[in-house]
Order: sequence, then structure tokens, then C-alpha cells
Amino acid sequence: MLSVHNIVKQYASHRALNDVSLEVAQGQIFGLLGPNGAGKTSLIRIITQITAPDSGEVIFNGQRLNSDHIAQIGYLPEERGLYKKMEIGEQVLYLAKLKGLSTAEATKRVKYWFEKLEMGSWWNKKVEDLSKGMQQKVQFVATVLHQPELIILDEPFSGFDPVNADVIKNEILELNRQGATFIFSTHRMESVEELCDSIALIHQSKKILDGKVADIKEEYRNNTYWLEYDGSLSSEGHETLYQVIKKEEIRNKIRMKIQLQPNVTANQLLYYLLPLVNIHRLDEVIATMNDIFIEKVKPSQN
Amino acid sequence: MNKILLIIQREYLSRVKKKSFILMTLLTPVIIAAFYGIMIYFSLQGATSTFHKVAVVNNNSALTEKLKSGKNISYTYFSTSLQDVKKNYLKEGFDYILYLPEFTLDAPKGIQLMGDKQASLALNSKVANDLEETLRTQQLKASGIAQQDLDRLSTSVDIDTMKIGQNGKEEDSSAGATTIIGSAAGILMFMFILLYGIQVMRGVIEEKTSRIIEVMISSVKPFQLMMGKIIGIALVGLTQFILWIILTTAISTVAVQFFTGKDKAAQTMQSASTLDNKDTEKAGQAITDSQQTKKAKIQDKLSESGPVAYVQKSLAHLDLTKIILVFIFFFLGGYLFYSALYAAIGSAVDSETETQQFVMPVMMPLFVGYALSLSVISNDPYGPIAFWLSMIPFTSPIAMMVRLPYGVPDWQLGLSMVLLIIGFVGTVWFASKIYRVGILMYGKKTSLKEMIKWFTYKN
Repeated sequence: MLSVHNIVKQYASHRALNDVSLEVAQGQIFGLLGPNGAGKTSLIRIITQITAPDSGEVIFNGQRLNSDHIAQIGYLPEERGLYKKMEIGEQVLYLAKLKGLSTAEATKRVKYWFEKLEMGSWWNKKVEDLSKGMQQKVQFVATVLHQPELIILDEPFSGFDPVNADVIKNEILELNRQGATFIFSTHRMESVEELCDSIALIHQSKKILDGKVADIKEEYRNNTYWLEYDGSLSSEGHETLYQVIKKEEIRNKIRMKIQLQPNVTANQLLYYLLPLVNIHRLDEVIATMNDIFIEKVKPSQN
Repeated sequence: MNKILLIIQREYLSRVKKKSFILMTLLTPVIIAAFYGIMIYFSLQGATSTFHKVAVVNNNSALTEKLKSGKNISYTYFSTSLQDVKKNYLKEGFDYILYLPEFTLDAPKGIQLMGDKQASLALNSKVANDLEETLRTQQLKASGIAQQDLDRLSTSVDIDTMKIGQNGKEEDSSAGATTIIGSAAGILMFMFILLYGIQVMRGVIEEKTSRIIEVMISSVKPFQLMMGKIIGIALVGLTQFILWIILTTAISTVAVQFFTGKDKAAQTMQSASTLDNKDTEKAGQAITDSQQTKKAKIQDKLSESGPVAYVQKSLAHLDLTKIILVFIFFFLGGYLFYSALYAAIGSAVDSETETQQFVMPVMMPLFVGYALSLSVISNDPYGPIAFWLSMIPFTSPIAMMVRLPYGVPDWQLGLSMVLLIIGFVGTVWFASKIYRVGILMYGKKTSLKEMIKWFTYKN
């Protein structure tokens, strides 16, 4: 539903985005990852039409991005902000109307969401009287109120306690089930693994990695296993099968991290081990998004 | 367009609903009316000021002409000795004793004014004047001039300033009132532009520091947000101005009615009775007639009370409606011109404390215009400086208001208005270019050089 083609954005002496392209499919939860200052916010600002790219284009539902699309996009910026002196209800209504909702429709939806997120009593309160977490909730409602097709969330869980973070997570998943597409910018990799279908990793103004989370993880499998056993295993004669990366003894058991040689399967390994030792555990080490992130970003930073 | 209206609505309502706005709007006319009332009170007081009875002891054989009692003073001559008068003057109801010793008429000295209270400066000079008058009369009479001839000489002179209008008709005008009205309008304009311009800047900074700006800009164009804010606040200013005029007029009318109450009541009765007898058209005529006589009567009555009457009389001859309408135009124009610049400043900084270096250069022309308007223009409202100040958009809102009551040719007024419109379109365009970049810049200290660089950015 959203394609970004060869976007370049140049600030005075700094190139914020260098030939970045990516695809977000309908109904996906798409993770936009990258270290601080990589250019994520610049890209989001281009998609939300806050700024325009120097070159390249954004295609939204088959059309070049234009101001008609504003009503179909919801954006929760990382730097949260509301009018401090304004009453909550009035404020959310105002933001919804700016997105093109009629007063009646906006009122109905604000009431629905306030009820749903147990904010009913906040209507006449001023923003400055709310806690930070409560303000976040208000802002989340303002972001999704106009039922946008594309919802862009920048660090949506920051400032929430675990209970409320869970509430918001469930709302995101429900909206996703109803058909909303999400772009999700965050540093918290565990939430990426939990929620995202696809990701793109931006680093130093360039996209260095993208694809489905499952595919990326598959790609980062490197035939590494944890093996736990007791009994004696010769330290030689297995080079054609695996290499030992790490070895430690825990109580009576030995735990090893091993990497299988290319073309060797776990079955072949088991076949080799069965007559020699008692096997307690053999499982594959799967790279977390966190590992992948660090691996991709670290070398070039030094 | 719809979005701009929403923004205007929010900016307007959020300010008009504030307690401080309501308080300012209601209190200011009361204060103005109070000043007006105090002015009237004191001038009426002055008109009926304390009556002094002075006992005169004349020991001067050469001075035969007697002092004449006046409106607020009476002179009574005593033939008894100064000692006797001193003993009894209070009992007989006198306030002061004027003692005239022996002196030659061309070099009077040793004259004393005594009383249980110190005589005021005003009384002292009044007595001295009367005495000088008496001495002169005596000397003139001595040189053979008759009393009638002297009376004829003492005419008082009162100059009416007239302005010859474009059609050659003489128009009554008044230098004093024009200056007062002009300066007042100039000061008000200065205050309004400064006050509401700063409000625009504060509003922009508030949006920036509270970080709502990003949400807003993902819904509306920066230009819409900026114009919505500027127009919304302009309407707040206009509301306040119009309420001030209505309230001040209302309160003043009540005050005037209080002073000239009975007279007015009689007039109302009279006009009411005329209404009963005649058909509508004629009745309308009658009301204007009776209003005019009423006005004249009130003026007659007040003309005895000096300065207030003077101001009121002059006010009657100024075209206040025109002044108010032109004021509204120049307020809007000047405000738009400056507030766009203030919006640009607000967008370029992170907090109000950083605004100083940018606000000064923007405020300077306004200050200069203000200072020059009140000095140069009031002295020479038709001179070249006055002309140029009232043409250049940076100073024209103030300068034109100061000049207006003196009468400004229509073509100059028109030209100034056109230039102001061009001016604010220019500043709005200029400001919007800086604004759209500035509002999204955080944490950087902005220099003028950098702002110029933003100017060339593509949005």
C-alpha cells in the first residue's frame, strides 16, 4: 500500500536520507528500525507530508502522495505534545476535525474511544493535570480516531506502565485485524519480534536491511546449537561435523555451543552422538532481532 | 480553507475564554471612564471654587481707585485701623486681610495678604492681578481716559481654529483635541500591535515547546497553521477594541447623563410629546431638531466649565466614525505586517528567552515610528517626515493615526493603505518561508544567517 522510491533528503550540510526505498504491504505491521540519528524521523516526516523529499517519490495506494492522503494517515510522533491549557475532550475533537471528521462523527468516536480506554472522566480535564502516561493515551486516541488506513507510531510504548503498554498493544493488534497498516518505529527489539511482520533497518541515512522478520531471521541462522550432555566425548574426530565455540561444565553436565559445518544436519549430529553420550538438550541458537541489529550497526560505527 | 477556520476558531475561543482577557476588556473602559469622570469632576470643582472674602485696609492715600469684586472673590474696604480689623475679621466672616501701606504708585511695595491660613498661590496671584488692574486703571484715569473707554478696552480674545475643507467650506477644528485624539490613537495602535504581535509569537513558541506542532503539521499545512493563528488573534484584538468602544461610550454616556441629567430628562419629555402629535417623518425631523437644541444646551452649559467643554466641543467636530474605521483598518494591516514577523521569530527559537536578539530589530521601527509620530508629526502633520512615516508600512499604522485627525488627503490615505497591504502580503510570504522550517527545528541555536538559509529550502 505504501512504496517509497529512492528518497533523498538533504539538509544544509547533512544528508538525512540517501536513496532509501521500501515497500509496506497492506495490513502489515512494519518496523522501521535504526540507531538514533539514522534518518527514521526524516523518513516518517516525508511520509506524513510534514516535509518533502529532494528527490524520489512516495506512492500511497497507487497514487503519488498528496494532501488528500492526510486524512488516511495517523501519526503519533516520538515527541508527544498537546495543548497544555486545553481540555482533553475539546482537544481530541479539534485534532479529529482537522483530519476532516464532522463534529458529530468526531464526538461519537471520541466518546467511543474514551469509554473503551477508560478515559470517560477525563473529558473536562486539562492536559497539564494529567500524568505522562495518561497524556500518551490521549495522544494515541487522537492518532487513531479518524480510522486511518496507515498508522505511524514512533516509540508508541515509551512512558507507559506494563499494564497500559499491554492495553495499547492489544488495540494495535485489533486495529491491525480490522485492516489498518502500521509503521512502527522503535528501539525496543522485543516489541519488534512480537508485533512486526516486516522491517527495514536504516543506518547512516541508508537502508541496509529489509524484509520479513521470519526471512531475516532465517538468513541469520548460522547452524549454531546448544548441546548439553553427560559422558565423555573425545575432543577430536568431529571436525568434519562441527566446531566448538564455547564449552562449560555445569554440575555433572557439559554444555557446549557448537556450529555445524555447512551441509551437516542436526540429524547427522545426533546420529554421531547417540552411541557416545547421554544427550539432555540440543536446540538451535536463533538470532534475535537485537543480535541482528547490533551486528548490522556495530561494525560501521567503529 | 475549512481547516484554517477550525484553527481560527480554536485560537480565538481559547483566548477569549481566558479570565485575563475578560478582566482586561471589562476593566479598561471603567478605568477610562473613571479618568474622564475625574477630569470632569475637577474642572467643575474649579468652576465653582472656594469663594474668598477679603477685607481691605487701605493706608495709601494715593490709591483712590477701589478693587473690584469678582466671581470668586469679594473685596470690602475698612476704614478702621489694621489692628481692629485683625481682631474682628474672622468674626465678620472674612478669610483674609489685604493691607495696602503707603507707597508711590509706580513702585508699590510692602503690600501684605494676611489670614489664619496661608493664602494659596492661585489666590495670591489673583489678588496681585486685581491690584495691578486697579493701579493701571487709576493711572489711566489720571491721564484723562474715561471709564467707558477703559471698559471697551478690556475685551477678551478667543481664537477658533478653522480648517478649510476641500470644497472650500470652513470646518470647525481644534488643534488641541486633534493632538489628543491623534496621540491617543497612535499610542493605542502601538500597544495593540505590540501586545497582539507578541501573543502570536508566544502561541508559536507554545506549540513548538509542547511539541504539538508535529501532530498539527501532519494534519495541516504550516501556512494554514500560521495564518489561522494570526487571524484568530487578530479577531481577539478586534473584539477587545470594539468592546472597549461600546463599553466606554456606554459608561461615558451614563456619566454625562449624571452631570446633565435634569436637562436631558426635560428634553426627552419634550421630544416624546412631539412624537405624539406628528406623523413619523416629521417626528424624525423633530427628534433631530430637539437633539440639536439639546446638544447646544448641554454645550452652553458645559462651556462655562472650561477644558472639558473645550474637548467636548472639539470632539463634536471630528469625524470619529472615520477615525475608528481607519483605526480598525490600520490595526489589522499593521498587526498582520508585524505579527507575521513575530510568528517567524517564534518558529525560530526554542524558548521565549531566546527571542531577545530577534525581537529588537523588529520592534525598532515601531518604536521609532511611535516616538517620531508623537513629536515631529504633531508639530508638522503635513511635512515630508510625516508624509513618509505615514506611507512606509513599518511606521504607517501609527503615523497615519496621529495624522488623521488633522485631515489627510484621500489619495494619501489610499496610497498608505495600498502600501500597507503590499507590505503585509510581503511579510506574511517571507515569514511563512521561515516558519515552515523553523517550527520543526529543535535544540539548535538559530542565527540570522541560518534563517536566511532556510529561506531557500524547498518545503
